[in-house]
Amino acid sequence: MAEKPRLKVPKEAKKGEIIEIKTLLSHPMETGLRKDQAGNVIPRKILNKFTCEFNGKPVFSADLEPAVAANPYIQFNAKVDESGTFKFTWTDDDGTVTTTEEQIKVV
Amino acid sequence: MKKKIISVAAVCAATAAVIVALAPDHAPAQAKKPVPLALDGPAAQTPWKRYAGWPTRDMSKFNTLANLASPPAPKEPRKVSGPITGDAANGQKLVADRNRGGSCLACHVMGPAGNADLPGNVGPDLSEIGKAGREDEWLFNYVNDARVYNPETTMPPWGSHGLFNDQEINDIVAFLKTLNSPATFRSTVDDPLKRPAPVENRDNLDDLLNPGMWTIERAQTLWKTNGPKNASCATCHADVKVFKTWGASMPRWEPRLNKVLGVEEFVFRHAKATTGAEWLMQSDENTAFAVYLRYLANGQPIKVDITSAGAKQAYERGKALTQRKLGQLNFSCLDCHDPSKGALKWIRGQWLGEQKGQYDHFPTWRTSLNAVWDIRKRFQWCQVNIRADELPPDAKEYGDLELYLASVNAGLKLSVPGIRH
Repeated sequence: MAEKPRLKVPKEAKKGEIIEIKTLLSHPMETGLRKDQAGNVIPRKILNKFTCEFNGKPVFSADLEPAVAANPYIQFNAKVDESGTFKFTWTDDDGTVTTTEEQIKVV
Repeated sequence: MKKKIISVAAVCAATAAVIVALAPDHAPAQAKKPVPLALDGPAAQTPWKRYAGWPTRDMSKFNTLANLASPPAPKEPRKVSGPITGDAANGQKLVADRNRGGSCLACHVMGPAGNADLPGNVGPDLSEIGKAGREDEWLFNYVNDARVYNPETTMPPWGSHGLFNDQEINDIVAFLKTLNSPATFRSTVDDPLKRPAPVENRDNLDDLLNPGMWTIERAQTLWKTNGPKNASCATCHADVKVFKTWGASMPRWEPRLNKVLGVEEFVFRHAKATTGAEWLMQSDENTAFAVYLRYLANGQPIKVDITSAGAKQAYERGKALTQRKLGQLNFSCLDCHDPSKGALKWIRGQWLGEQKGQYDHFPTWRTSLNAVWDIRKRFQWCQVNIRADELPPDAKEYGDLELYLASVNAGLKLSVPGIRH
């Protein structure tokens, strides 16, 4: 059962304010370096990309490597000049893309 | 015709009985009618099989919380004729070998000791034992079975319990005889007397920090999900505000089962009796409920009953169990968790907490395992780690122990789920 992404985005901000965005998606982030009890390598399966757009324009993105721990927590800042929608995407090694949106009102 | 009327009446009576049983219960748990519980059978996976990945040692020759099996302590020290000759280099390896029951360094600073790091300080610093004027026979026997000199010792009986053979003890004694100057530490944290005690100040109730919080959403969904009897928790408990203190009052004595019930066992037995769902102890669902029911009582002081006849006896049994020496390493709970013995000291690189403060955050997320553990699983892991066999999660001895531990923690406010290493 896929878990929903967890976000902390302010609901409101002043024009030009720098806000802090916190994101987390539940994922085992299997590195591909571990072995099971029988000695077989547990295959790699990670979220390899995270992106954040605001009103269609890129704000922040990251390529994730196997060193990132399970349930990747990504926190970054963004400067907002207008009201709109943040769109977040996470891409799994197997191609699955998880996406969610969050609105913000700029006064 | 008459038969039909009777059977209809019987159906009505049966339905009425069901409706009464499932009527919304606005009264708190101390209502006059006893809480429905499945009174038959176990509440955990049976037969109990140790978790995969845990050490597979069979320690049935030694004490458990349920069974006394350890060989008795020797009455006399063993006679050692002549000076001990052993391989000091091998001795230096053995004292640092974690595969031999944690190694001597778990409790003792021992000078250079194989260049190993983070020695503990549950036992005295042995860096100058070589010039302390101790006879070889004394050194041998202290390692072999220190109970011949100190019946209250925390020292494992390395020889009597088969952890080291005589030649290995001779090698260790040979190494001890070379220790004649204070240890020099590579850094401040290496010295257990200077190492700062760990402080847990993460916000355990922040769901971006503590994945343990996600189990609450799971529990809330299961709360409304019908079980085999076409009822859910919500059928009787639509309003969870009535559980504001319940989680802080557990565990409690259950006379119908003649044992102490913790939250986890209660969830299994109560769900089975009402909705028909069978959420075995330590299953994901059971753990989610255990977290949720405690979480609803967060901020409440722990307050368990130990005044009823059954509870008082369980408390006394639990207290006695904390004094019982267990397993191949022959440790009691108190050896590590009482300040008069090992508590507030280091065992290798791990800080030993005292009993008070070890219960208010259970069930807890464990960051090293990416999993939520309930208190019974923590008991089980402790036993296996000190080379004792664990009991099944629903063992009555764990109930006695949990009631005692909860009463030691009385007054502390619940903060569940916790977050720990």
